[in-house]
Amino acid sequence: MSIELRDVRKAFGDRVILDGVTLEVREGETVVVIGYSGSGKSVLLKTIVGLLPPDSGRVVVDGQDVTRLAREKLFELRRRVGYVFQFAALFDSMTVAENVAMGLRRIEGMTEPEIEARVAEALGLVELEGYGDRYPSQLSGGQRKRVGLARAIATRPKYILYDEPTTGLDPVTTAVIDRLILKMKEELSVTSLVITHNMESAYRVADRIAMLYEGRIRCVATPEAIQRVADPVVRAFIEGRPELMEEAR
Amino acid sequence: MIRGWSAPLALVGRSALETAAGFGRYGQFVAAAVRSLPATSIWARPLVIQMARLGVASLPIALFIAAFTGIVLALQASYTFTGAIPLYFVGVLVEKTMILELGPVLTGLALAGRVGANIAAELGTMKVTEQIDALETLAYDPIAYLVVPRVLAGVIMFPAVVAFANAMGIAAGWITAINLLDLSTPEFVRGLRLFFDPYDIEFSLIKATSFGFAVTATGSYFGFHTMGGAEAVGRSTTQAVVVGSMLILVLDAFWAVTLL
Repeated sequence: MSIELRDVRKAFGDRVILDGVTLEVREGETVVVIGYSGSGKSVLLKTIVGLLPPDSGRVVVDGQDVTRLAREKLFELRRRVGYVFQFAALFDSMTVAENVAMGLRRIEGMTEPEIEARVAEALGLVELEGYGDRYPSQLSGGQRKRVGLARAIATRPKYILYDEPTTGLDPVTTAVIDRLILKMKEELSVTSLVITHNMESAYRVADRIAMLYEGRIRCVATPEAIQRVADPVVRAFIEGRPELMEEAR
Repeated sequence: MIRGWSAPLALVGRSALETAAGFGRYGQFVAAAVRSLPATSIWARPLVIQMARLGVASLPIALFIAAFTGIVLALQASYTFTGAIPLYFVGVLVEKTMILELGPVLTGLALAGRVGANIAAELGTMKVTEQIDALETLAYDPIAYLVVPRVLAGVIMFPAVVAFANAMGIAAGWITAINLLDLSTPEFVRGLRLFFDPYDIEFSLIKATSFGFAVTATGSYFGFHTMGGAEAVGRSTTQAVVVGSMLILVLDAFWAVTLL
């Protein structure tokens, strides 16, 4: 089972964001999507879980076409997908533990002690033991991101979508998050799609890297291969050299 | 020349279309909330919290308004009657006015500010910080989790708050009558009972229920449709209060026409 996008198009009014995106994330694989700010990376991620319906094209997750699923079936599918938001999107009125427990409460048959154990385990994985009673407003930006990650992994999903999980974090916390993404893959065989601007992170966690540019996938390659790509648009981005964009034009 | 005329016409037409579309979206939103009612496992828990936040916490302001309304009603009634009408009619006026009109309407308007603004600001902030999207990804129907408990809490608790406000208004009128007017308790009670009809209470509570629905559904609607940042949250909050208050006045007239 995998994540598959076929010719996905999405526009907001006259503004075309996705203009025929085709991408596959194979089972157990981690694909990193890179691209300029505003290139539609977050929109791409949201179409995968049905938060934004594409205007056309197919989005298949775990063998099911997300665009054709009835609401109840979509909720069932979402229980198998963890989503890490760019700004964590923690529930302000709840403690850290309550935030992490939210997804678990939707799993039928889970008892309160089981939920508590799973919350402790998830917080342990993101190195936030003992933070369960705090509120999001009492956490730093990095800690909030890690709680968002704990909330996404607590349900032990088959798929995890990361929306810029390391943006704005210090190098040590970035490395902790990267290690966690790798751990999810190695220990739980999670299939992941990661959006990032951070090339160091991308090289660390990716099996393949895809670049989204002008609404389409410009290039898909392994971390090693993408560094040898001749396309100036790709090189400009991964090497941080805007002058190469002139070549492309 | 035609251009000169067409511009304002186009503006009116556009406004009319936008208003009609807004009503359509509001209707769809309410229909979605009704469709989410069977998801009791999602809304049962937050319902209790919302009943306390929307109802119990609103009691002090409702009672405060009702107390001063009762005082003023008793004094104005006595001033108006000026010997032409027996003074025990103060009881009639306080009771009828509080129960039929001022109890539900003033409480409703106060809660449109307190509850409607609170809901719109809270849900609007949740929308712009992706918390509503987060609920979706955690397999929660956000309408069932956020809107249904708020609207149900409004429908259940507004009549309760209005009932207390009515009682407080009448009690304040009675205390005013026996202390500041030349009226005894038996005379005030005689006035209260003179034209009392249990249907008045029913009418008052029907109004309060509809106000509870209007305020909470409107607050939820504007909160849910917030797009942008802090400024958009502020705009949604203002719209929730203005539209909620207008709906209360429209419903007030509607019930007077249909039920009295």
